[in-house]
Amino acid sequence: MPTSDHYVIIGNGPAGNAAAFTLRENDPDARITIISHENISFYAKPKLVRYLAGDIDKSALMVKEPDAYLQNNIRLRLGQTVMRIDLQNRCLHLAHMETVQYTRLVIASGSRARLLPSMKPYADCLTFVTEYNDIKGMREKIAAGKHFFVFGGDLVAFKFLKMLTHMKKQVTLLLYPKAFWPHTLTHAMQKTIVDNLARTGAHILVNDDLDTIVPEEQGGYNVTTQQGVKKQADLVFTFNGLIPNVDFARGCGLDIDHGILVDETMRTCLENVFACGSCAQIYNPDLTAYTTSIGWPNAVAQGKVAGLNLAGETCRVQQAGRKYFDLEGVKIKTTWWEDADREDTEGEDTDREGNDRKDADFKNTERKDVECKDTDRDRKTGEKDGR
Amino acid sequence: MKTNGLYSKEEKIFQDKNKLYQAHSVKQIAYSTDPRDFGQVAKSIPCQEACPARTNIPGYIRCINEKRYGRAYELNRGANIMPGVLGRICSRPCETACRHGAPDNGVSVGICHLKRACADLKSPMHRIIEGLYAPSGKSVAVVGSGPAGLAAAHDLAILGHRAVVFETMEKPGGMLMYGIPEFRLPRDLLMTEINNILRLGVELKTGQAVGTHITLETLTREFDAVVVAAGCTKPRLLGVEGEDLENVYNGLDFMKQINKLIGDKLIGDRPQLINRINSGQSPIDRQINRGLSPIKKINWGLSPIKNVAVIGGGFTAVDCARSAIRLGAEQVTLYIRKTMDDMRIDETEKHEARFEGIGVESLVQPARILGENGRVSGIEFVRTRIETTEKPPYKKSVPIAGSEFVVPCDSVIAALGQAPDAHDVSDALTGLDKDSPATGMKGVFAAGDFVTGSTDVISAIAGGRRTALAVDLYLTAMERKKTVVRLESHATTDRPRSYDFIDRVPMNTIAMDQRLADHTREVETGFDPDQALAESRRCYLCSLKYEIDPLRCIYCSACIDVAPKDCIKMVETIPVNADGTYGRYVETGQWDRVVSITIDNEACIRCGQCYEVCPMDCISVTKTELIQMDMDE
Repeated sequence: MPTSDHYVIIGNGPAGNAAAFTLRENDPDARITIISHENISFYAKPKLVRYLAGDIDKSALMVKEPDAYLQNNIRLRLGQTVMRIDLQNRCLHLAHMETVQYTRLVIASGSRARLLPSMKPYADCLTFVTEYNDIKGMREKIAAGKHFFVFGGDLVAFKFLKMLTHMKKQVTLLLYPKAFWPHTLTHAMQKTIVDNLARTGAHILVNDDLDTIVPEEQGGYNVTTQQGVKKQADLVFTFNGLIPNVDFARGCGLDIDHGILVDETMRTCLENVFACGSCAQIYNPDLTAYTTSIGWPNAVAQGKVAGLNLAGETCRVQQAGRKYFDLEGVKIKTTWWEDADREDTEGEDTDREGNDRKDADFKNTERKDVECKDTDRDRKTGEKDGR
Repeated sequence: MKTNGLYSKEEKIFQDKNKLYQAHSVKQIAYSTDPRDFGQVAKSIPCQEACPARTNIPGYIRCINEKRYGRAYELNRGANIMPGVLGRICSRPCETACRHGAPDNGVSVGICHLKRACADLKSPMHRIIEGLYAPSGKSVAVVGSGPAGLAAAHDLAILGHRAVVFETMEKPGGMLMYGIPEFRLPRDLLMTEINNILRLGVELKTGQAVGTHITLETLTREFDAVVVAAGCTKPRLLGVEGEDLENVYNGLDFMKQINKLIGDKLIGDRPQLINRINSGQSPIDRQINRGLSPIKKINWGLSPIKNVAVIGGGFTAVDCARSAIRLGAEQVTLYIRKTMDDMRIDETEKHEARFEGIGVESLVQPARILGENGRVSGIEFVRTRIETTEKPPYKKSVPIAGSEFVVPCDSVIAALGQAPDAHDVSDALTGLDKDSPATGMKGVFAAGDFVTGSTDVISAIAGGRRTALAVDLYLTAMERKKTVVRLESHATTDRPRSYDFIDRVPMNTIAMDQRLADHTREVETGFDPDQALAESRRCYLCSLKYEIDPLRCIYCSACIDVAPKDCIKMVETIPVNADGTYGRYVETGQWDRVVSITIDNEACIRCGQCYEVCPMDCISVTKTELIQMDMDE
């Protein structure tokens, strides 16, 4: 393989890193560059909630330090945002007006927070917990704050809520049953979740919706719901799942639905362009459905396949089977979801013991379990709720 | 510096300079038919070039900037006949082409919203301007009062001919009246703009179906010419098992039924409250949860709909889906063959559909419709994948074998578009050619979707106008109008650089409960004057052409240094195309080969930085506009 080839990987998450290091293992001379819009080396997003709560420090977030890239001759360009892809000239246009040439491209740009259409007018008042950039300075604000309002309620929201209540904070959660899309919670499931969450001391609202969020001059927000509930909050969080982060790739010729369409080799419709991880959408013949993966192991598996195929192999990603997913006492049988907080982050950097201890702290109530039967409606793509 | 979203201090300085320039400048105006000028206009003003009616977009946006809403309205009317209507429902090819939306330039200007603004903000006693020609003594029958028919009738009336419009339905407007929901296009506004056309002396005969009540042959005998603008009415079918079940509707018929009933004021009883959990998104849920009055539902005389599957991804499909929500449907989902990106609607429509709780399932196509007791019970879909053909480059959806799955539903709306049906009008009508207004019948012309197939309203209007000119040539044997490029010296850039950084102004909309409490209430409420001003400032004013006088240029490259884009080029040669227009500049980096430093008006964002910095004052600004003149003027 000619060494003049420049392999550019957009995204510094598990998929992008797996692709880069797999390629390095199989091609010692390859010129590899990872471009990430974040100003932090490879870290474990699933641990952000614990970092916010002050449970772990920044060093415990890290999966790979910059030295690892130096040692493997992988160029890491942090804090640089790709604005668009020019396929004709095989170059990326970065936000600071630089262009980067590539010969082969891997898009592993991950996901971003889903903002419900009804919440768009209040986007400036909302805090997301999707990436490290979102939560800079939040740790101190959370430590200093007393009242918090949480909208939505995906898996991270529940973990976050428990963290806050564990810190003796006053938390109000407005539960959206469709935040668990594609599953819509039934009354029984919702009741089980509400009962379990209420034991944490949080105030749980259901059958309600956002009316207004008004910022206060001295900081904080006044939240009013449509049922007339008024709450003052130091911070307002929203957790309504994730959507593939692919806006920069639109209009360049790639087939994009919710995510970038790829085959089982992680190839897109365009030659020399791969996509993997949660920005990719793939047809799963076992499920007869398109899926976007959620969770660290899936991202790593797809990144490895992309890396091997970049190196000239022809590998196919193994489709993940279905599994039960525990959602506050409600078992949801689904696929491509991983409870990220229980996962190994590439094995060698696992903080498993800490996770288990933390989980044990939360298991302080007797919980009633309800099972959600698998239906065709979970054969969905795109916007997703587990992380 | 920045105050209330406006750049007050910088703007003040700019305005003072502007006054100074205007006080010292003498306007020089020329009219050109040089192909190079037509080519320059086409390349430099992408929005106008993309508009089928060639609306003078920079011109009317500049008028809005000067708060001359009436003039802005007339500039629109001169090209597209119905600015208030198109400002609401146009498919907006101009915005796709807008230079502000090009890579690295930000987001396109809200051209369509500004078009609406000039209609909304003009004086209620606004005086419309029409340049009437002398009566010709000729008469023309126009079949169909949709956008193409109305545009043709309008222009024929202007040209002095007697125009009589035959409309099958009870009201004029065609697809505008019966195909588009009232919450997107208020009918009083539509009738106002239709009446502006009828006021020119156009006669309207409704309830007259050509081919049924009167024959085309009769019209050819009674009139000097006939324009057939009967639109597209033949629905494209799904072609799957179960299509004949009850509760399977054609999209256009569905909209017609609703619009006809609303038009007849047959708005009926209130629906039962629907027992559903709160979704956090569903409009119906919100309405119930807020304890507000339940949704008004149209008693439309057909089976109630609850779980609706809409097949299709165009404007009609979305209109059907949003109307179904207003009919009280609990769950409405759009099913499309290709990807979300391939949907033929703009982002605003996508957002509104999502906001109203409509789901989208992409990469699927129906395999069969399932039924029980003659009624729809579900649809079996098959997943699709996208396949790209190399010649011509085209993407098509291909079913994936073995990927079938079933979705339960009680109603299916197939909104796959329509095709024209010439036999409905007359079996003798042959020789239809989408590139020519003439038909195989002497004295019979065709216009709009009837001849081109299903397009959009602005294309239909442009087609109607083209056909009117062809009819006029047929009747009078002389060309009476010509298009020229008007060139006017312009001693100012008209905008400071700071305007480039103004964010696009979002359209105001009513809340969800208001949408459901009154299903005919217009969802978008338009811009107020401040919003219109802010959005108008975003326009680059691409009709201003920047040129460097090579005889005065000292090649200091100061302009290149300040240009924010790669728009000032060192050129070795400028080729001329076969049609007489300029080709792409051949650039060079070697000074000894440079014949000129030239501003590439295709890349220029009209920031005026070069104009400000030039030490030799050798950069000129010229306003370029396509206008129509009388041949004998």
